[in-house]
Amino acid sequence: MSNNVHEIIKPKEDLNYSSEKKPIHSDSSVEAKPLPKVTIDGKTYEFKPGDTIMQVAERYKVHEEIPRFCYHPAMPIAGTCRMCTVEVEKAPKLMTSCSTPAADGMIVHTKSEKVLKSRTGVMDFLLTNHPLDCPVCDKAGECELQDYNFEYGPSHSNFKEEKRVYEDATTKKLSDQVTLNMNRCVHCERCVRFTDDVTKTNDLVMVNRGWHKELDVADERGLFNDYQGCLTDFCPVGALTWNDFRFKKRSWFLDKKASVCDRCSKGCNIEVHSDRDVVYRYIPVYNELVNGHWMCDEGRSSYNDLMDPQRIISPLLNHNNSMTSTSLETVIGEVKKVLKTAASIQVVVGTDATREEAALLKEKSTLAFGKPVTINFYNGHIQTSQEDKKLDHMLRMTDKTPNTRGVEETGLAPLPNGELSSEVAIIFRNGRAGIPKMNPHQKVILWGVWNIEEVKNLPTNNIIAVIPGLATIEKEGSFKNTDGVVQKFHPAIQHRGGAVTVHHVVGLMTNNN
Amino acid sequence: MMYNNEHFEPVITKFVNEAGSETIDFYINKENGYKALEKALKMKPAEVVDEVKKSNLRGRGGAGFPTGMKWSFMPANPVDANGNPKPKYLVCNADEGEPGTFKDRLIMTKTPHKMIEGMIIGGHAIGSNKGFVYIRGEFHKEIRLMQKAIDDAYARGFLGKNILGSDFHFDLVIYKGAGAYICGEETALLNSLEGKRGEPRLKPPFPAQVGAFGMPSCVNNVETFAAVPYIISEGAEKYAKMGTERAGGTRLIGVSGHVNKPGVYEFPMNLSINEIIEIAGGVKGGKLKAVIPGGASAPMLRADECDVKTDYESLAKAGTMAGSGGIIVMNDTVNIVEATYTLLKFYEHESCGQCSQCREGSHWLARMFKRILDGGGTQDDLDYVAKICGNMAGQTICAFADAVTGPALSSVKKFRNEFEELIRNGGLHGNKKQVNVNEGVHV
Repeated sequence: MSNNVHEIIKPKEDLNYSSEKKPIHSDSSVEAKPLPKVTIDGKTYEFKPGDTIMQVAERYKVHEEIPRFCYHPAMPIAGTCRMCTVEVEKAPKLMTSCSTPAADGMIVHTKSEKVLKSRTGVMDFLLTNHPLDCPVCDKAGECELQDYNFEYGPSHSNFKEEKRVYEDATTKKLSDQVTLNMNRCVHCERCVRFTDDVTKTNDLVMVNRGWHKELDVADERGLFNDYQGCLTDFCPVGALTWNDFRFKKRSWFLDKKASVCDRCSKGCNIEVHSDRDVVYRYIPVYNELVNGHWMCDEGRSSYNDLMDPQRIISPLLNHNNSMTSTSLETVIGEVKKVLKTAASIQVVVGTDATREEAALLKEKSTLAFGKPVTINFYNGHIQTSQEDKKLDHMLRMTDKTPNTRGVEETGLAPLPNGELSSEVAIIFRNGRAGIPKMNPHQKVILWGVWNIEEVKNLPTNNIIAVIPGLATIEKEGSFKNTDGVVQKFHPAIQHRGGAVTVHHVVGLMTNNN
Repeated sequence: MMYNNEHFEPVITKFVNEAGSETIDFYINKENGYKALEKALKMKPAEVVDEVKKSNLRGRGGAGFPTGMKWSFMPANPVDANGNPKPKYLVCNADEGEPGTFKDRLIMTKTPHKMIEGMIIGGHAIGSNKGFVYIRGEFHKEIRLMQKAIDDAYARGFLGKNILGSDFHFDLVIYKGAGAYICGEETALLNSLEGKRGEPRLKPPFPAQVGAFGMPSCVNNVETFAAVPYIISEGAEKYAKMGTERAGGTRLIGVSGHVNKPGVYEFPMNLSINEIIEIAGGVKGGKLKAVIPGGASAPMLRADECDVKTDYESLAKAGTMAGSGGIIVMNDTVNIVEATYTLLKFYEHESCGQCSQCREGSHWLARMFKRILDGGGTQDDLDYVAKICGNMAGQTICAFADAVTGPALSSVKKFRNEFEELIRNGGLHGNKKQVNVNEGVHV
């Protein structure tokens, strides 16, 4: 069951941000001709002209996948690892399925004896110089080399020579985020092609030749693109590892749940990897409509904000000018008292609220807070979604909140001048939207995801209470992203603190009125 | 006649021993130079291609692909996606790097205009107005002489706009390689020419469709181009008659190693290796032991197999290849294991490192041979060489992996007793070394 339900139909094109690769579903013309057919392992499949054998197999998920190291659907074809070779009848040699176009009437065997022997040979070669340090390698458990060796590898190696050791590149920091261990590299060069053709930053190169061939950064800037984490996702071995995840967790302990990144208005599809409700990393999930295969580093690291010990996860009440942890009921009671005497109340909804939360607040505010309130939304990065712009040719956006369009859709207006004006203001945000401007005497009730530092730095001395709320990956809801795609999500982890849903708080506020 | 072939006459090397043969005056006055160009420019391009096809000229770079056929693969009027005409490029592969081969540098130093004339004719035949001469970077003298020759040809109007009053333009520039053996492979050469890493490309698309800078390109060897003027001026039949049924003309053969008169010779293709060694002054300093007949990549032949003729088919039948025309002669003072190790070390160093099998396999074989030489070898190793080679050959993008297996496999197969002796005696110097497996090689 997929947790991401798209409410609009996917257009038939492949958004993979690669310059060379053509969209798979590119034929818009109505063709009367029957599609050509290719036979793979005894079954016949129709295919789109121009597909390679690998693409046909991928499209129909021909039993298990054809093993590959250098092939990546969103990058130009290299055909160098020689792992995906298949036997094509009437061809004198084995053919690489990634680069050989399917032809009408072609008969392909992906598991013949000859093919398996070749794959065993490739594994034998790749493992000669591989350090086999799986017990201390972060990739272990999700390593393609490991998986393929289990399936195709020789049971033992006759390699008796000294292994190659890249002395200077055993633990080499390519940037603050990515570490290279060249000894583990299988030279698939996905990373080089990624920086060449996907990010177009050209920050990685291969230097030297043959068995000395070594991955290195192109210049003194090091690795500088904004999508470095993707390198560590598609590196088939543990050569490139994400510093934030290094030595933190064995991959097989991780719980994997789908969610949506809330770091910007793109809403990249992610998988939240957690163990016992502690998040260890986000990885992108392919969605041709939203993010292709990728996500940016900013989004990838954003779980740190939620796992931050400084995040407020207990209801706080201002007691003699000091914020004191107490029960939710006490806080709600105090808040009600303040609201009852307030001359004017305004509610500010951050554009990081889900569509459901925004709608609920718009509908129930008056009822919940006992008197008419002004309600606006506030983004903090841009005024309205009209101003949202792309930061590069890939995914990053200027709007750093996930649901500006969704909140706008509820009919809320932006907060005039981004400034609070009522006697008491209730600020609801989930850690991404900006904090509105306020004067030192402004009475505020903070609600949602807040950090102690943020609260300390507020210009006002009149913080009445903090009501903790659930973060995106802890709750259910939906966002409408910058392109108008509505994405639903379900809780990826269970919140372990005192935060509650908006619905719950609204209920408590409404009850005794 | 010495060559046992009444049709034979030297096509390329006729005047190379005379002083000043590299100058344009010598070429025009003594060799009737650039007359073939004049004739070719009066012919239609298709007629030139037909003439070359009829001559049975086969590529002299190593693979032996029919040149006329290659030229006919070039699209007539290529256009890009917007319908604009695309230029076509003619590239001369002068990246002569095969160990044991040194014939192209003779042409470049002694009779460069023959090659230039051949290239201009080739440009006319395939409809290209731009040629590149990709010369190996270490060939400083050759680069200098080629540049001089090209400048002279420009000065006399053989290159540039409206050549010899026709409406045909042709420009020729030299591009220096950066020292990689693999750049002799035509698609790696094209990558290098574009300023990229010298790594062979996936085929298809072939260079005739997508070559240098994405344009249709044709890559030929120096010797191939040098033979073209003769074919045009003297006629394809005459050239074809000198050769065998399926390969016309003469071949330049570089004979090196243990012979009394090493050097480049021009031979018809009906000579046997033994006869060639005879002409090159016989084996020096001992008895014949082994011959590598076509540059280092060709599998070696034992002395008793050297009666084989040197045309493409006979050598292929003998399990080796004509390759790039470098015959390496080894006498009985040579230790085959050591000689093969020298070659494998070269291949280990020169593999481009793209394909898994070639990158790791060439390294593995070289280390294994070293270990055998050092006294750490076992009988199993010898059986495993065949397995490694079996996993390498024919599995990679280019033919480099096959080239590695040539010497490795043939040496073990044909001189197994020498390997076994080394293993028994504990290496070349008889002191059995303990090979430390855990100690890494630092690169």
